[in-house]
Amino acid sequence: MKTNIDPVKISEFKCMREPLSLEAVIRESNRCLLCHEAPCSAGCPAGTDPGRFIRQIRFYNYKGAARTIRNNNILGGVCAFICPVEKLCEKECSIKALEDPININGLQRFVVEYGKAFSLEPMKVSSKNMGHVAIIGAGPAGMSCASSLATLDYDVTLYEQEQQAGGIARYYIPAFRLPEETLNDDITNLLSQGVKISHGKNLTYIGTITDLMKRGFDAVFISTGLSKPFRLELLEGYINVTDYLSFLRNIRHDFTAPELKNKNIAIIGGGSVALDAAVSASAAGASRVYLISLEHLKELPADQEEINLARLMNVIFKAGSQITRVVAEDKQITRLTGIETDWKEPDNYHPSNARQIQGTEFSINVDLVVQAIGTCPDDKITRFARGVEIMGKGTIVTGSDFSTNLPGVFAGGDVVSGGATIVQAVGDGKKAAESIHNYLNKRRANQ
Amino acid sequence: MSKPNPLQINFCGVRFENPFCLSSSPVGNHAEMCARAYDAGWGGVVYKTLGLEKSFRVVMPSPRLNAYNYGDKRVIGLQNTEQITDRPIRDNLRDLAWLKKSYPNKVLISSIMGYDDEDWAELAKMSEDAGADLVELNFSCPQMAHKHAGHRVGQDFHAVEMFTRVVKNATRLPVIAKMTPNITDMVPVALAAKDGGADAISAINTIKAITNIDLDSFTPMPDIHGNSAATGFSGPAVKPIAMRFVSDLYNSKQLNLPVSAIGGIETWIDALHFLLLGATNIQVTTAIMRYGYRIVEDMIEGLTDFMNDRNIGSLDELIGQAARMIVDPSEFDTRHQVVAVVDPEKCIGCGQCFISCRDGANQAMKFNAAKRKVEVDETRCVGCLLCKHVCPVWDCISHKEVDTLTTRHAAIF
Ligand SMILES: Cc1cc2nc3c(=O)[nH]c(=O)nc-3n(C[C@H](O)[C@H](O)[C@H](O)COP(=O)(O)OP(=O)(O)OC[C@H]3O[C@@H](n4cnc5c(N)ncnc54)[C@H](O)[C@@H]3O)c2cc1C
Ligand SMILES: Cc1cc2nc3c(=O)[nH]c(=O)nc-3n(C[C@H](O)[C@H](O)[C@H](O)COP(=O)(O)O)c2cc1C
Ligand code: SF4
Repeated sequence: MKTNIDPVKISEFKCMREPLSLEAVIRESNRCLLCHEAPCSAGCPAGTDPGRFIRQIRFYNYKGAARTIRNNNILGGVCAFICPVEKLCEKECSIKALEDPININGLQRFVVEYGKAFSLEPMKVSSKNMGHVAIIGAGPAGMSCASSLATLDYDVTLYEQEQQAGGIARYYIPAFRLPEETLNDDITNLLSQGVKISHGKNLTYIGTITDLMKRGFDAVFISTGLSKPFRLELLEGYINVTDYLSFLRNIRHDFTAPELKNKNIAIIGGGSVALDAAVSASAAGASRVYLISLEHLKELPADQEEINLARLMNVIFKAGSQITRVVAEDKQITRLTGIETDWKEPDNYHPSNARQIQGTEFSINVDLVVQAIGTCPDDKITRFARGVEIMGKGTIVTGSDFSTNLPGVFAGGDVVSGGATIVQAVGDGKKAAESIHNYLNKRRANQ
Repeated sequence: MSKPNPLQINFCGVRFENPFCLSSSPVGNHAEMCARAYDAGWGGVVYKTLGLEKSFRVVMPSPRLNAYNYGDKRVIGLQNTEQITDRPIRDNLRDLAWLKKSYPNKVLISSIMGYDDEDWAELAKMSEDAGADLVELNFSCPQMAHKHAGHRVGQDFHAVEMFTRVVKNATRLPVIAKMTPNITDMVPVALAAKDGGADAISAINTIKAITNIDLDSFTPMPDIHGNSAATGFSGPAVKPIAMRFVSDLYNSKQLNLPVSAIGGIETWIDALHFLLLGATNIQVTTAIMRYGYRIVEDMIEGLTDFMNDRNIGSLDELIGQAARMIVDPSEFDTRHQVVAVVDPEKCIGCGQCFISCRDGANQAMKFNAAKRKVEVDETRCVGCLLCKHVCPVWDCISHKEVDTLTTRHAAIF
């Protein structure tokens, strides 16, 4: 990761995770212990198999490494840029007992680029003779499920309400963390498998699951993600309050937009999305960016990489505190009052467990407040997927095989997990594809 | 993958699905190991050298191995004190027969070592009966405890010829003679094997070497209860020497036999080097001891990609391509010389090239202390390119050609 950043220049650098040189790749792959039953591979929720592709790199089988990634993870390019590796593959790296973990995502980026530069053979095109599957939502989960089903020779149609596929990766993750070209490359691979994407169709247009089945689909996979942000009651009704999704969607590509220049911005939340919002605000020229979270610095759920970046970008951490009061004029918040907090019980980071520390009140001037405290699925699903069992916060209930209570209806990704990672969504999509295949095999056997 | 397999090759009339084989050693000690190697993708197995316990009972010493490390690089070479198999011949033959029956399309090569004519003949017959496709004659183990075996035989032209003939008379199988590198010139020994009727030559077996000394006891390692010996050295460190011998064999017009290359092979690039120097078959031990049978997957995939990318349909198009360029040093063109070229943008100012050129070459590298950059004095550069080899930035120092008929060059006084 970059370690010296001029805050105003962030919009100029192409990417936070820089490419590795060939020398670095050779050095890094030689550091790898080539473990038996590689723990890094076990640490990847999508089964990308880093243990294998690093071995392939080590023995100069670069194209083979590129194949491993492409066959195991249709978003292998994207993951190499945005996976929180310190919590996944690199967390499990055996060499950590002796020294720094292997830079797995760096090796992955190199190999994906290599596969592109030296043109890997085209992917196998689905013969489409195994049946029809509809997938609602072309985010990571939907794309991964589509790819695996195409490999199994299904005829797959993705329905996507947006103009382009990619889900959160397309519209919300800041461009300095994920180059658009990388996402496009991964999608090109998917399309080359013979998968169709039908754009701009939201659930009301598609109709209900019953309608889809009537149109000849043998199974449906729901991967609509999360799109309804949570809001704090305290901030309800004010004009200059937004949520991180709207905020990031607008700012994602254009840090030169004038609205944020020299403004004071408060971000509420301590997860990765809050950090993305904070860094983006800072990059857009905000004068003071506050990050207000109940979690203390070492408890922040965000990745260390993002926290480091935020520090380089002069984000002011109000970690271990909460907002208690709002000062507003004409529905416009001008000041937030907060107080530092502690936990009543250790290791429980739920707001109800927070305890205010008297005498630590603070107040900050703000021009904009961004809430980044989580999201839940859109209500539309309840209508579309009538009969599908849904939990309190709107997430879909599935078994470990991603099947819902309705036969032939499967779901995965954030709409089931309530919010995880891209690589987790890819893993869900793969496993769901297997379940769909098993389900249809059984159905075929009974016919 | 509808294209024909570009790696399939004929060696001594036997079809190999790929040229990659285990060389005779612990990696092919018994059937279960060889079966796993076949499953991993190896095209053939040279089984651990058979011997007859009625003639000589092998007992291995321990510790059996010592590693040669360099800086943080471990096992760039491996020293072993291992002899031929210590298993009873009956068990080994049963294993060979089972392997051939279970893997009829894979190649099974029986390596043998006798102590007299009868042994050699008996082992050859037994190998054929067990179902081996070829026999390899081990004339080259450098640490046999038996006085008339191993590389002592391999250094004796007469014995090599005689034992090869005995084997040829005893079996119809093609015969490979495995050479010791512990000799000045390998070609005469190979010719002796050819005179005895050998169908192919394999090289190299291990090089006699000492890898380390314990500084407390002053005992070389491995310390075998207070003693040690110069014994068989293998692995990446021996590859340059093996490449020399393989090209010598291939380039000998008189010999004109197929060569199976052994010595320090780990990757498809190593294998390709040997193919380009004339090998038709590839054998591996130390890399498997270090990394396991799995490395063959990358040899197969890597070499197949290399060939497909260049539209090379068969290994025959590669074999010997580089050997043709090997000449006697007296034939070098010395009219054309080179001088080093430094890319000032890439120079990081460490001065390693300066030190090496000053103390190990011709004092042609100038070091600008103020700017921490180097510059080549072309009037002094002899074009050895030591600087390029020591430079930590891989593409910082290159070279350009100088025609000495028109330009003065420091190599010519
Ligand atoms: C700002 C931000 C940053 C993140 N950073 C990272 C990161 O660095 N690393 C990481 O691993 N994860 C990150 N995540 C999490 C990650 O993006 C999600 O876990 C992942 O995208 C979930 O994939 P999904 O396919 O389940 O859902 P989504 O990506 O949300 O995709 C759902 C898709 O369904 C479509 N859809 C929804 N409703 C309908 C409908 N009615 N009709 C048709 N289509 C519909 C949506 O348009 C969308 O394309 C981040 C998330 C956010 C919000
Ligand atoms: C432990 C060990 C045992 C070996 N035993 C034999 C043997 O029994 N017969 C034989 O022909 N070569 C034997 N060799 C030599 C190898 O077959 C091979 O020729 C040599 O190690 C060089 O190849 P490498 O660098 O790939 O290991 C042995 C090598 C090692 C390291
Ligand atoms: S490698 Fe195996 S056989 Fe050799 S010393 Fe270690 S444990 Fe014993």
